[in-house]
This record gives sequence, C-alpha cells and structure tokens, in this order.
Amino acid sequence: MKKVLLFSVVALFGMQAGLAMAANPDAGPGCGLGKLAWGDYSHQKNIAPQVLMATTNGTFGSQTFGISSGTSGCTNDGKVMAEHKTTMFAELNFENLSQEMAQGQGEHLASLAALMGVPAQHQGEFFAMAQEHYTTLVKAGEASPVAMVKALNATMAAHPVLAQAILK
Amino acid sequence: MVLLLWLSGHAPVSAHAGSRPVYLDELHQQAKALGLAGRREWHVLLHYRSNLFGGYTSEQDDPGFFLSPQGKTDPEAELFATLARFFSQDLVGRSKQPAQCAFVARYNWLKTQLAFDETKLPEQTCERFQRWYADFEAIGLSLIFPSGFMNNPSSMFGHTFLRVDQKNQTPQTRILAYTINYAAELPPDAGIEYPFKGILGLYPGYFSTIPYYLKVQEYRDIENRDIWEYRLNLTPDQIRRVLMHTWEMGNATFDYYFFDENCSYHILALLDAADPSFRLAEDFPFYTIPADSMRAVLERQGLVGEVVYRPSRRTLVKRKREALSPEEEQWLRRLVEDPSEATREAFGALPQARRMLVLDTASDYLRVRGDGPSDMQKVWRERNRQILSARAEIHAPSTEMLVAPVVDRPDVGHQTRRVSVGGGWRNDRAFEEVAFRMAYHDLLDPEPGYTPDAQIEVLNVGLRHYHDSSQARLERFNAINIVSLSPMDGLFRAPSWKASIGMQTVRHGDCQLCSNGAFNAGLGGAIESRWLKREVWFAFAETEANYSKAYEERHRIGGGASIGLLADLTDRWKLLASGTYLRYALGEHGDDIRWTVAQRVSVLQNCAVRLEYNHRDRDNDVVFSIQMFF
Repeated sequence: MKKVLLFSVVALFGMQAGLAMAANPDAGPGCGLGKLAWGDYSHQKNIAPQVLMATTNGTFGSQTFGISSGTSGCTNDGKVMAEHKTTMFAELNFENLSQEMAQGQGEHLASLAALMGVPAQHQGEFFAMAQEHYTTLVKAGEASPVAMVKALNATMAAHPVLAQAILK
Repeated sequence: MVLLLWLSGHAPVSAHAGSRPVYLDELHQQAKALGLAGRREWHVLLHYRSNLFGGYTSEQDDPGFFLSPQGKTDPEAELFATLARFFSQDLVGRSKQPAQCAFVARYNWLKTQLAFDETKLPEQTCERFQRWYADFEAIGLSLIFPSGFMNNPSSMFGHTFLRVDQKNQTPQTRILAYTINYAAELPPDAGIEYPFKGILGLYPGYFSTIPYYLKVQEYRDIENRDIWEYRLNLTPDQIRRVLMHTWEMGNATFDYYFFDENCSYHILALLDAADPSFRLAEDFPFYTIPADSMRAVLERQGLVGEVVYRPSRRTLVKRKREALSPEEEQWLRRLVEDPSEATREAFGALPQARRMLVLDTASDYLRVRGDGPSDMQKVWRERNRQILSARAEIHAPSTEMLVAPVVDRPDVGHQTRRVSVGGGWRNDRAFEEVAFRMAYHDLLDPEPGYTPDAQIEVLNVGLRHYHDSSQARLERFNAINIVSLSPMDGLFRAPSWKASIGMQTVRHGDCQLCSNGAFNAGLGGAIESRWLKREVWFAFAETEANYSKAYEERHRIGGGASIGLLADLTDRWKLLASGTYLRYALGEHGDDIRWTVAQRVSVLQNCAVRLEYNHRDRDNDVVFSIQMFF
C-alpha cells in the first residue's frame, strides 16, 4: 500500500503541470498537485497524508524541495513559487485546516490568514468567520483547494471588517 | 536556454583571457602563503576528514561537488581549481550554475581571505541564490528533533533537521518556515532490504527545504512523534554562512549510512559551517544517534536558547483526556463510536466550554485513528467530519491547551553507549563481568528523554570470568533486541511486540556453560496501572528458535508465552519482572521455564546500578552491576 503511494506521488509530482490543468480546470495552477492527479486514488479527499507518506522517506522531498534543483512543478530551487504558496498550503493542510475552522482557532488557520494577507489584529474575525462558514468552506475544499481559497476570499469580501482590512 | 546562458557566459571569459592567468597565479601564491588549503574553514566547506594514515578524504560522494578531478582527496588541488573556475561563467555541479554561484560559501570565504580585486576577478550576480536566500527571510535557526518512532526502522532513534526561522514569524505561523532536511532517497519499491541497504550506505542522501508544516504533519499527525524545537543562538553572519553552505549542498550527494553519515551527522556538519570552531561533526567519528547529537549541541556553551515542545496528536489526546471528568470521558467514548450522540439533550446540558473540550478531544482521537493505517480509515474520517460539523455549530473558539510533555527533553536522557562492570554467582560459581552495549536504551535504563516502555538494543556484548576457570568467556551477545510495549485503554488498542537475535550461555545436559544462539519474537498486549506510581503489565505469545551443540540435532524450535511487569517504584528505582514458558516441538523436544526479577536505581544522568536475578531451566544467576553511559 505504502509503496503504491510512494510511487504515485513521485510520478505525479514529476508530471507536467499543463496536463493536470488541461483535464480539470479546477485542479489548481500548475503544481501537479491538482485533484485530477489524485483521481485514481481511492482516498482522494485526503491528499496530504499521502503526500506525507512519501516525504517520510525523503523521496518527495528531494524531488520537489531539492535545494538548487531548478524548477519543478510549483517549486523553484526547492522553494514554493510565490503565486502557489496559499493554494499549496491550503491543499497540503486541508485536514488540519478543516479541524481548526470548526474549532475557530489554530496555527494552520492563523498561517492561512497570514498568507492571505489578513492583518494580525483581525485574526479573531477571520477565525470566527471561518467557523461560521465551516460547512461551505469545507465543501469547497473537498472540491479543490483553489475553490476553498476562492470561497474564503468571497466570504471575506462580504465581511464588514475583513473586507476593509485586506484592502489596506 | 541553458545553451544561451552558456554561450553568453563564455564571451566575457575569453575577453579576459589575457589578464586572468596573471591574477590567478597571484591568488595561487597568496593562498599558498596563507596555507588556506590546510585551514579548518576550507575542510568544513568541502567535508574533508583526516585519514587514519595522513591525508584527507571528503565525505562527499558526488563528483560535481568538486572542481578538480582530485578534489575528493586533495584539498589544495581543489582550492586551486576553485580559484580558476571563479574566473569563468561555465556552469558546474548538479545545480548547473557558474562556480561563484554554485559554491557561494567557498567564494565568499576565499574572497575575504584573499581580498579579491574586483577589477581582475569580477563578481558575478547569482540570481538563483539571491532569490532562494531572500525567500527564507531568515532571522534564526532552530534545531528540530522529532522523538523516536518504533514502527519505522529508519526513525527508531529519532531524527534531526534545521528550521530557518522567518522574520515576523509568530508562534502560530512558524509552521510556514522552511526546513533544511537531509534524507535518503529511496526507490519507490523499497521493501524488506531497506534497513540493510541503509546500514551499508547504498542509498543516496540529499538536502531539501521541505516546508515545516509538512514536517509537522509527518511527525505530529501521521507518526505521532513529539517534536522538540531548540532555538540556536547564532549571529546573522553565522546564519548566512550556514545558508550559503546549504545552497552548495544542492550539488551534493552523500551515501546515506543509517549509523554514521545519517541525518544528524550532516546537520551537525552544516552547523560547523556557521563557525568552524564548533567542531560538532568531529564528536561523532563512528556513528551518530540523533539524541546524542542534540546533547553535543547543548554542550556548546550558549549555543542553545529557548526550547519549545510540540506535542504529538497522541500526546494531545492523552492530556486532554486527563482533563475530562469520568462523565465527560463516557461522552467521549460514545461520540467516537456514534457522532450523532452530540445532538442529544443530555450532551447539550454540559457547559459549553466542556462540550467544546469533549468534541475537540473526540476529533483529535479520530484523527489519530484516521491517519493511521487501518481498514477503518474511511469510517474514522467520516466520523471526524460529523464531530467537526457539530463543533462548528458552537460559535466560540477553543482554548489552546498547554500540554505538558509525557517524555522529557531528549537532551536530559542518558548517553546511548553503555558499559557495565559487575559480579555475581551463577549457580555456585562466582564471576566478574564486563558488558558493552553500542546503543541505545533498554526497558530498565533511566527513562528521562526516551520513549517510555520501549527498548532498542544494538550490539550488546557481555564477557565473564568465572573464578574457578582460567579464561574469560563470551557470556552473551545480542545483535538486536527490541521490545515495544503499548499500554491499551478504552480508546487505544495497539499491540505490543518484541524481537531479538543473539546468543547466551545455558546449562543443558552435560554441558555446563554452553553457547546458545537464539532468535525470539513475540506479539502481545500491555495495560497500565497507577497503584504505586506507574506499572505496565504485559503478556506475549512468542516463538523461539535455538541453535547449540548441547541439543540433539543441534537445534530446537518452539513456542510459548511470557507475562511480566515493568514498574516505577520511585523516580529513580525501576523494577522489571517476567516469566516465560516455552515448549519446543521441533529439533530437540522439551520445555523451558524462565523467570527474571531485575531492578535499577539511577544515580546520575549517566550512571545507574542494577541487581538482576535470572532463572533459566536449571540455571540461577545473580548479577550486581554498575553501568555508565557515554
């Protein structure tokens, strides 16, 4: 089982980003991390654990996050490209994020807020908003991380305080 | 594109061709006069270690890491070749950059030492490095230590890596920082041969910058390992040097050896680049156990600052359950079986803060189960979703619980090599004994800093001299001896297991002191009680194979059972008692009854005394010993 996972992760991360995008418009930009990539896998709702199983043994790590390794998928010399930081974080931390959204606080949620540009003094409002819209956000997240980030942005735009805060 | 760069890179080089050799010769002379090739800084950057019989060899195994064909064994040739390449824009190494950029730490060190004349040796801009470096927003480094994990042979001893702390990082956003991690790259089909190949260094090891949030998930959520974060007190220059050298390591490949050149060793070697006078890697000429490497870092006065504990999800569940009342614990057990219990009126009658705690504990528990390997995975995850939906309906944030560690900081533990000196009686014969164990911890060793109820012994040798005989004999030898006890409770039911391979001395038939090769493996369960302080009761069904000339047909194979008790009597005094019955059905038939009572009192962090009584078949053996860890 674990071997299969390792193999699929390696294969998928090496995959051309364009392929994933062409076949599934909701698959996220160019990382090869998109939903489609996991389409053949039975537990596709939980991408992170499978990715992690591969990092355990370093395979995934040295391919994607290898130092001065050039460009691969959504990383450049091992660093996540700026435009992918938020979606990649949302995707790889989906389980932790949905738990913390339900609980109205937590480090993953705080980090997502930071990545989305929510000022520290408005973190509390962001937490409360995520908790209130838990069902919608998680449903979006199950479809794709991009959809979840979009849903979060839309909810923030409708929020009396946060809408102002992120504009600043 | 690469071709273009290469072409454009060539033009200025040939333009300078006339003046270059003159200045290069000057630099050579200067470097020679200063003895740079013999300097510690140079050796650290190229990972040279002195050979037993003089000379140097680099531990680096990728030819692209050297700019001279003799670079692996000739520091001076490498230094001269490096200086020559700094004049060129040709792409070198696996990372395919000009030498000044691929080996940016070497460049900066040599530039300072030789005060490069910019007009004669122009500095190249290294965009890739600059972007990579700036992206860290580094203001500090932390050494991260996830504790050992019994279910994976590569991580039984723990792991170490660095985290590059970011400017403006808060305790909550530190998961966004990058790590510097060294790991073996395994082929996707690695199987049973994995530990063996690892010991022999047959896998290549690479450095990578995996985001810390992925490492946290890996250790905290999936493997349930506590994480310790040690903030290092380094100057901005030292941090810069580590990062520059890390960049160079993108060109490096090491053969990954589990025991010596492992993750911990290479992380120490990286830290040496911060300040060559640390000499951290030198402490470990033979093998590096992560916890020992932590202690080595701590011995450097003032190097370690704040220490932060990050509990595994398993520890989190344990501590949260301890905070529940018996009634709340009942709710917890019902909720994890049937999340719809959360809609009951009786549950709603609990105060809101308590309901939140019970639901959060249930969610954490279901995640521990759901992330583990189990056919029930889908079920656990679905239940967690329902629990979270119920939790989200209470519109209030959970309070972050301050979780006390179950296991102490790894650096307060005993060292991992052990030597014992003692004496006693075997039947009526008096003896003296010396024993040595290469690694790591047994059930009776002082427990601070080690995974509780777990034992991993590697290469344990005992020599005895009996008073009535003229020579000493090898009394026992254990290649490997592992025991993992996992106390079960209403919610967690993991099996306990053990395995060992080695030899010991038995009395059998006419043979008084007979060497007996033995393999033993068992599967069972354990429970915990808290009558006195803490007791763990265990039982195993087991199988054993023996090989000795004392037996008819020289062997016997059988099966049986063990029961036992491991008890903390006081903070320093521990007791282990066990009894075993084995029946041999193959080879020589027969049975064997063994029991043992052993106790240990720890005197200091690295010193303990033991009194052990062993009964085996017709042998009775008493040993008193003093044990030192080093």
